[in-house]
Amino acid sequence: MDSPLAGTAAANVDLSKLTDRDKQELQQFVVNESQKARIQQSIHSLTDVCFRKCITSKITSGKLDRYEEPCMQNCVDRFLDANYVVLKELEKMRSSS
Amino acid sequence: MDSLGGSNLSAFASSDPKTAVMRQIQQEAAVQNARMLMEKLNEHCFERCVPKPGSSLSKGEESCFTACMEKYMTAWNVISRQYVARIQKEASTG
Repeated sequence: MDSPLAGTAAANVDLSKLTDRDKQELQQFVVNESQKARIQQSIHSLTDVCFRKCITSKITSGKLDRYEEPCMQNCVDRFLDANYVVLKELEKMRSSS
Repeated sequence: MDSLGGSNLSAFASSDPKTAVMRQIQQEAAVQNARMLMEKLNEHCFERCVPKPGSSLSKGEESCFTACMEKYMTAWNVISRQYVARIQKEASTG
């Protein structure tokens, strides 16, 4: 992997050379990359939680056995279902107060 | 690890300012992702494999780490696929 500092050399980029079209493309690029970063972050959180829930026995192999893999998949789906329940409940509370 | 479909910018001349900025943004995102993964791996595998820290890491603890790391990264991929599939499904049904 490149040194993280290698990218900062690009900070000397002359931004005044950017055309309006360039700026628009960059804008869209940033929006897309931000969304991708948010998704990556969610995956990290989910893996954190689901690993703890699904890998309960002593770790001997590097593979997921036939209980652990479906558990991981269910974990993601149930977490998102639960998220939805929380949202709905909060909306209800907000509208009744 | 699964990529989320990032575009390959190596075909462009690096002197183009727009591409240089894009590349920098992607690079920083990749660094951030790797850092996060390392942190989580360390945390989980230390918890699992070293219940009582001794004066050194035993061979058993080391091989536990190897297995744990592989397991965690496999789990990450499984979850990544499941998550992306789910949000794509929800985006299309509205």
